[in-house]
Amino acid sequence: MKRIRFKGLGILSIALMVVLSACGGNNNNNKASESSAPASSSTPKASESASPSADAKPVELSIMWWGPDARHEATLKALDIYSQQHPGAKFKPEYLAWDAFWQKLPTLAASKSMTDVLQMDAAYIQEYVSKGLLEDLSDIDLTGLVDPAVVENLKIDGKLYGIPLSQNAQGVAFNKAELEAAGVDLPQKDWTWDQYFEWGKSAKAKLPEGKYAVNDTSNLWDWYQWYQTGNGGKPLMTDGGKTFNFDKDLFVKYHSALADLRAAKAVPPADQQTAFLENDPAGDPMASGVVMTRGATTGSVGALEQLMPGKVDVVNIPVGSAGGGWAQSTIFLSVSTHSKYKDQAKAFVEWFITDPQAGEALGLTRGIPINPEIYKALEPTLEQKDKLGKKVYDISVDKALPFYPIAAGYTEWVDTYKATMEGVMFGKTSIEDAYDKLNKLGQDIAAKTK
Amino acid sequence: MNTKVATTSTRRTLFRISRKSGESNLHGYLFISPWLIGFLLLTLWPIAQSFYLSFTDYSLLASPVWTGMDNYKRMFFDDADFVQSLKVTFTFVLVSVPLKLFFSLMVAQLLSKSMKGMSLYRTMVYFPSLIGGSIAVSILWRNMFGVDGYINKVLAVFGIEGRGWISDPDSALWTLILLNVWQFGSTMVIFLAGLKQIPQELYESASVDGAARWRKFYHITLPMLSPVMFFNLVLGVIGSFQMFTAALIVTRGGPMHATYTYALFLFEKAFKHFQMGYASALAWVLLLMVALITVLNFYVSRFWVFYETDGGGRK
Repeated sequence: MKRIRFKGLGILSIALMVVLSACGGNNNNNKASESSAPASSSTPKASESASPSADAKPVELSIMWWGPDARHEATLKALDIYSQQHPGAKFKPEYLAWDAFWQKLPTLAASKSMTDVLQMDAAYIQEYVSKGLLEDLSDIDLTGLVDPAVVENLKIDGKLYGIPLSQNAQGVAFNKAELEAAGVDLPQKDWTWDQYFEWGKSAKAKLPEGKYAVNDTSNLWDWYQWYQTGNGGKPLMTDGGKTFNFDKDLFVKYHSALADLRAAKAVPPADQQTAFLENDPAGDPMASGVVMTRGATTGSVGALEQLMPGKVDVVNIPVGSAGGGWAQSTIFLSVSTHSKYKDQAKAFVEWFITDPQAGEALGLTRGIPINPEIYKALEPTLEQKDKLGKKVYDISVDKALPFYPIAAGYTEWVDTYKATMEGVMFGKTSIEDAYDKLNKLGQDIAAKTK
Repeated sequence: MNTKVATTSTRRTLFRISRKSGESNLHGYLFISPWLIGFLLLTLWPIAQSFYLSFTDYSLLASPVWTGMDNYKRMFFDDADFVQSLKVTFTFVLVSVPLKLFFSLMVAQLLSKSMKGMSLYRTMVYFPSLIGGSIAVSILWRNMFGVDGYINKVLAVFGIEGRGWISDPDSALWTLILLNVWQFGSTMVIFLAGLKQIPQELYESASVDGAARWRKFYHITLPMLSPVMFFNLVLGVIGSFQMFTAALIVTRGGPMHATYTYALFLFEKAFKHFQMGYASALAWVLLLMVALITVLNFYVSRFWVFYETDGGGRK
């Protein structure tokens, strides 16, 4: 008896070690960038001495950005140009997909080891500024580079924490070639939400079996926010997250419209819809040929066009009484407060949107360059994929609403929205129950936000 | 068993020497210091820290704030995701562990026969397990069971209409269970070694007594193999409780959180929602849960595990 118990203890402690050590090494390699995020960011890779004359001491700047391959390549090229222009300037670049970037950054931030220069997104910049992680860049002179109104608009408490790189906008891409072949009327600029739902049904009727006009966007929280704000409702999170505004009437109306589409089989069945993977040649709802439309931004529509060349056209997000979609600068370069080379980093960031050679190398890989000079130089050489990005912006800008970011602390709500609304898509949860659950969680988070 | 006896006696000897002179004790610690320092700094210290963090609200970006038992209260009284992840994880463990044990025992039985080219077969059967838990296999799984996956294409040949196996909440967890069962290699190898250890005389004498094949299996193989089975069971249960990679890569916890395993839930709280304090509390609850179940396993094992060295005495 006694011996057995000892043996048991030994094995038990080994067992515990196994558990503990396994907890330690987690890997995650989340591919598939989430759809909602526009990809735009610039990363410089050259370290430079702020004034080349003064100290020519070699400096290595670390830099990190997210985006698709085309952006990675373009950015690396720009970093090389910087190193050539500034002997001694070197870079330690790191580039990831959207998901991986935002998984990695918090851990770097927690250990005070964020890269010297990093790409930032409008969705998250407030959270990072509020934690004191980003350097104040107000002293960089952007006169003649960026429209002063844009700069003013981006300031947080009167200070600028990210240098805007591009103009970006949210629209809807559609498969022009196939819709025309099926004899469907193409979506028109400033279509209303009612027209959008109606079109989803009528277009489906003319399409071949197994093809759909629109997606079941039930589980995408940003689509619902566009609906709520477009129809005159408040943004979901206001006052930096202290207030949560979840309009029950609009929520029920929006999701009932989608439920109608599901019932009419005008959207892909839930198990097919949730399996889509954007920008994957076989898994993308549009590139796979299954759905005729999907959301796309200025910075991301080019990747779609390359998957299905010559077939894509764009229109703006459906509008309500207040407007629809957004069109503004959402991608920045920021400097870490923990950087040892702040001056060099600032000089580089400024160079990034100023230098014509860099502008040429970067092209439209982060949207429409914010610097009008650079864009003018690029304009004659634009390819179809770039023109589409420009069109998304042009078609959206007059009706656009502001970009409403995820307030600090609400990532959890966003994830819960997805899982809960999938319950509605699969017919396991009622729209009212989903509302109650999500409203409670949102109000709880708001109450906790100080 | 032999190694265990050996370590116990070695430990006793060391202990005796150390009493005689403190110096050799110090030498001993010096020799293991590379490991010891690593253990103290990289394992024990973080564990202690996570215990502290489990009583705080810690966003990773700001300093932790002491909140007492709030994290634990939230877990047990106010978090539907916690309940859901427990449900998913227990289903996963309860189904996949017995299935995997059964399956690997059957394969081990087949591979323990002596016939020509057996070592080649063994290699072939074990080979996939070398890459079993990897990201690559998870991605392969996603492609096999997807709407346009190979499984559905094969089914279509027989006129059966497939479905999105991994994107349907009713079947998603089952694809992960299947993946876990398919990774039977290491369990199977341990069974195989166990089978080889069973003395042939037992089978021979049973044959002389006219025992049929299944009788031999039931009355000789199973009891003789029970310590090995127990070992595989304990490790299998612990491993399955920490199911993570496939849930993240194949299904990302979805759809509808149908595959939201406990480890994935914990990971998202920590690194996606920036609730490191809450995640630490979750980790401690996981540890306690696994420890309790392992203790329970040991207790129950007294009623079914047969140690030859004990003379088969079941008390």
